[in-house]
Amino acid sequence: MTVTTDRVSLPEPPSPAPGPPAPGPTAPGPRARPSATALAVRIGRKLAGAAIVVWAAATITFLIQTLLPGDRATLLLNQQTGQVQERTPEELAPINEMFGFDDPLLIQYLDFIGGLLRGDLGISYTLYQPVTTVIGDQIAPTVVLTFTALAVAWALALVLLVLTARRTPWVSRLFSGLEAAAAALPQYWLGIILLVVFALWLGIFPVVSGSGTAGLVLPALTLGIPLAGFLAQVMRTEFERSLDEPFVLTARARGLSDSGVRIRHVLRHALLPGLSLTGWAVGAQFSAAVIAENVFARPGLGRVLVTAVNGRDLPVVCGVVMLVAVIYVITNLVVDAAYLLVDPRLKESA
Amino acid sequence: MSTPPSPSAPESGPAVNTRARRRPVGPAFGLTLAAVSALALTACTGTPTAGNAADPAADTAALTGASAAAGSSASPLRGGVIEYGHLQEPNCIYGGWIQENFTARQVLDNLVSATEDGSVVPWIATSWEISEDQKIWTLQLREDVTFTDGTVLDAAAVAYNFDYWLDGGNGTAAAHLGGFYDHSEVVDEHTVQIHLSAPFAPFLSTISQSYFGLQSPTALQTRTDEENCTEPIGSGPFTVRDWRRGEYIEFERNEEYDWAPENARHQGPAHVAGIRWNIVPDNTSRYGSLLAGEMDAIGEVPAVNIAQARQEFEFTQYITPGRPVVMNLNTQQGIFTEQPVRQALSFATDREANVESAFLGTVPFEPSGYLSQTTPGYDENAATEYPFDLDRADALLDEAGWTGRDADGTRTKDGQRLTAKVVYGLNSIITPDGNTVIQNFQEQARAAGFDLVLRPGTPSEFFGGAFSTPDSYDAQVGYWTSPHAGILNINYRPSTEDAPNGANTTFLDNAEVFETIQSALQAPTPQLVTERFSAAQYQLSELAPAIGLYAQTNTLAVSGEATGIWLEPAQGGPVFHDAAFTSEAARDASEGFASRTPAENED
Amino acid sequence: MSTSTAPLHDAGPVTSAGPVTSAGPGTSVGPGAFRRVPVTVWIAGVFAALLVLASFAPSLLATADPRAINLAEPLAPPSLQHWFGTDQSGRDLYSRIVHGTGQSLLIGLGATGVGVGLAVVFGSWAALGGRWADAVIGRAIEVLFAFPILLLAMVFIAVYGPSVPTLVFAVGLGIAPGYARMVRAQVMSVHRSGYVQAARALGHHPARILGQHVLPNALRPLLAVLTLGIGQSIVWASGLAFLGFGVAPPAPEWGALLEAGRPYITAAWWLEIIPGLAVLATALTATSLGKYVESTLEGDR
Repeated sequence: MTVTTDRVSLPEPPSPAPGPPAPGPTAPGPRARPSATALAVRIGRKLAGAAIVVWAAATITFLIQTLLPGDRATLLLNQQTGQVQERTPEELAPINEMFGFDDPLLIQYLDFIGGLLRGDLGISYTLYQPVTTVIGDQIAPTVVLTFTALAVAWALALVLLVLTARRTPWVSRLFSGLEAAAAALPQYWLGIILLVVFALWLGIFPVVSGSGTAGLVLPALTLGIPLAGFLAQVMRTEFERSLDEPFVLTARARGLSDSGVRIRHVLRHALLPGLSLTGWAVGAQFSAAVIAENVFARPGLGRVLVTAVNGRDLPVVCGVVMLVAVIYVITNLVVDAAYLLVDPRLKESA
Repeated sequence: MSTPPSPSAPESGPAVNTRARRRPVGPAFGLTLAAVSALALTACTGTPTAGNAADPAADTAALTGASAAAGSSASPLRGGVIEYGHLQEPNCIYGGWIQENFTARQVLDNLVSATEDGSVVPWIATSWEISEDQKIWTLQLREDVTFTDGTVLDAAAVAYNFDYWLDGGNGTAAAHLGGFYDHSEVVDEHTVQIHLSAPFAPFLSTISQSYFGLQSPTALQTRTDEENCTEPIGSGPFTVRDWRRGEYIEFERNEEYDWAPENARHQGPAHVAGIRWNIVPDNTSRYGSLLAGEMDAIGEVPAVNIAQARQEFEFTQYITPGRPVVMNLNTQQGIFTEQPVRQALSFATDREANVESAFLGTVPFEPSGYLSQTTPGYDENAATEYPFDLDRADALLDEAGWTGRDADGTRTKDGQRLTAKVVYGLNSIITPDGNTVIQNFQEQARAAGFDLVLRPGTPSEFFGGAFSTPDSYDAQVGYWTSPHAGILNINYRPSTEDAPNGANTTFLDNAEVFETIQSALQAPTPQLVTERFSAAQYQLSELAPAIGLYAQTNTLAVSGEATGIWLEPAQGGPVFHDAAFTSEAARDASEGFASRTPAENED
Repeated sequence: MSTSTAPLHDAGPVTSAGPVTSAGPGTSVGPGAFRRVPVTVWIAGVFAALLVLASFAPSLLATADPRAINLAEPLAPPSLQHWFGTDQSGRDLYSRIVHGTGQSLLIGLGATGVGVGLAVVFGSWAALGGRWADAVIGRAIEVLFAFPILLLAMVFIAVYGPSVPTLVFAVGLGIAPGYARMVRAQVMSVHRSGYVQAARALGHHPARILGQHVLPNALRPLLAVLTLGIGQSIVWASGLAFLGFGVAPPAPEWGALLEAGRPYITAAWWLEIIPGLAVLATALTATSLGKYVESTLEGDR
């Protein structure tokens, strides 16, 4: 949650920006449709950039996990026995030996990176399973939850937007306020309230979600509603601005219905900031998943991550971090592509 | 032993089975064994022949029977899968952590089984005797036991397991027997001798814990760590069928099973087809899932729900023996190096009212800082030497020279404030209710002029040893489960250069206390064991290195649809071998294994 | 890719938005909008005043001692005596919320301040420092986005212990990359705008241009986002509390209250619901004041 929220909040940038969607005098250069080679170069650079992001994320994780205070061998031994005590060098020697904790940091790092390059994420210190298995077992529920929550958020935001933006002032203001409220909801607060109301009192949904379909609804709402608040806020500003644009008048003059104008013309402009936000939000949603997973007893990577962080299970932490990085990177690629489809300016300039 | 790093780690203890409605907790706890002198060995130690411990067995069978008999008819229904909701997920099915002890109990068998009165009854070992010098235990084994991989559980297998435990296979097992275990010897196919380097009175009680569960040597030797972690091969009533991490573990009935311990309710394979051991960490969700009928049973009933659980469900609460939840004071550095200051803090707060309020009356106050009321050898008089007495606390502090007062009322001496840093593992060792007790304690202690600063720590900090040295805290809150008073040896053996003792969290270095404990461990008769442990408790009480707060408990709530689940007394884990559904409708409504395909996520 | 994202769409949406307008005469805010102060803003203003009062003189609003326990009365429901009920130690929840306001706002404002501060420095640097600076900082921002900030926060708290300053810094660090990205895009587009070009042509010192023209114009449109961040930071802090990294008890910081109330949701709803409403109300107040100020400023120009 922690994570989430922040990320989500940031990506608001487009919203407040008042201004015509038309390329302003300051627009960073016209975008010509790139030639084939230029495209290849651009793709190449993107891939290189992606690799750097993933590498950097892995490296930071490695450093954090190795340099955090507290001895890792002690931690492992204490966890295995449930104690919180100091350990003797004799007790720790076999563990240090097994995992190479005594090696110089550089050697450990090179081993670590070497393993990554071979596609070997290592073996979990505490579960004795290959990290790929640990993640593989848990990835599906988290991905399903994350993308369902995104879908829920988009659906809520779009419906609210088209129906309520720039209507009677009090309607607009009311819903704008509701969006702001939704965006400010602490996820676990929302989650526990949904759980109590819809699962415990009304009995509509199962209390223990597991990985079933019926159990997906409440967790997805828990993550989706705050995100919908953000999305709608971001898009509302743009949407209302676009309604004032000349092309809207033109479209109306051509006899298009109000909803036609809203959906076909105005919405397109409003989608852009929403798309950016989505790209940003995906990484955060993964981390937010831990809350929904805890409250609703769902399996998933969020729980794996927190457990691994608490247990300093470096291979698992690194595996999850890199997975999130990769998904973030891929999502942003997709968002790039979506931009090309949606952004009228990019098309026009082609 | 083993302080479970679980928020509510459960442990063993005499069952206070309240088939709800009738019995308020208070009296039930009177069951405490303060009077029952014995360590595990009562039956056997004195007379080298002893063996089968028939009488205690009968007793316990009756006891457990009583607790389980609740809703069962003559012939329990067969079949169905029990849905059980559990707080924390283990890392492995078998290991040194309390959570792993619970799951191991379903899959592995032990040599002996603990009973509520602290004695043991036969299980895989049918009888036992001890040599004159109390250093050699000879165990006779059943001859019909096979592991689920088809290999035979014989003397060689037992000997192998002892070496395995002590040689890194289980850190908690090693903590218990390390320093006492010497070697094992196969006498014949079904007779094994365990040689100790020194007498160790609580031997049988110790090996009744599932840390000492027997595994197939063949499996241990030929399979990978991962396989032995997720699917250990034992001879127990269930085998691991599937494990979806973060969601559930499935246990399936072992159809061959015919060697349950003497205190089990029935012999032969389990009644139910299996258990789905659901991981439900959130308290509201876990209890809610029982209310909603999604679970047939749950562990770790939240304190706020216990009153209702007593009404609605078959509710069982165990008070863990061993060290209860106590505040350990650092005797090496800081304000608690002064004995009068430690005593003053012991007098300073109304701990009984505190615990009553914080747990809404559902968990008993534990006055002793050293042993819980259910530990064999607990001395109630020694435990209650520090009632709430603010005047005495003030007098002690005045005499010790803490006469100044700061603006906020904190006492001072020579410019130093009477302040102490109290660390505890919130949500990993101390539950939210326990957190309330600590906050109440902090607030009450202000009246005597103490300024306690609370510092909850994260699991990473705690297990990484951030709070393990004398300079890292003034007081630390924790508990440590153990079926016997031998825990005092673990907690109060002075640390030396050659043999450091990280478990001595008060850093108390007192030769007299240590000698008393040693003499108790090696005492030849149960009476002497008890007497000497009593003496040790009085000595400790005078020194006041720890302050008792509340009993560590383990709870179980079972819906009307199931019956026969009981908590084993060694560590308090639920036992499902005797579980059965109460009606065909309930059984048939349970979601069987067939509907899910276990192999799906295996690779 | 993510990398490329920056140049590609940051420029996209933000340019489209931005200061561009401000340069021009038009404002999307109707001329009358800022003359008449809406009721919601009045409400927000009054609430904000209460928050300030609670932060600096909590005893004026709540006379009970927020630490005083009452073992005879744990989990008492709201009543005339205890407006918001009592908690598990019998402490008065109303007093605790009032006395926790200061810490909570400090976390919200402080973390936002730290985040924005870092963002302005690095965002401007990236925008104006040339290709290399932009590439390096831009990539660093990408990495932070792709990285579970939770880990960074945990390191901080593990090293320095859970306290208000640590939380402020941990949360601030967590939200900085997002702001930095916005600042960078805004600064970039303002910097290219006509009046900045003009100032440059007139030979004004770069620092003066930055301080007088670029930053004010770049940050103004971000005001609403920044105020949104205040509520978000409090939520963030409560999330850290959820994971065991909150302010140590018995401090009545709101995130800690939320986390402490969670186990009691069915038995004592007020312990969870009321602090949550306090967080919500504060976040809404900050947002609506931010929006109003922003639109007023826009209108003024």
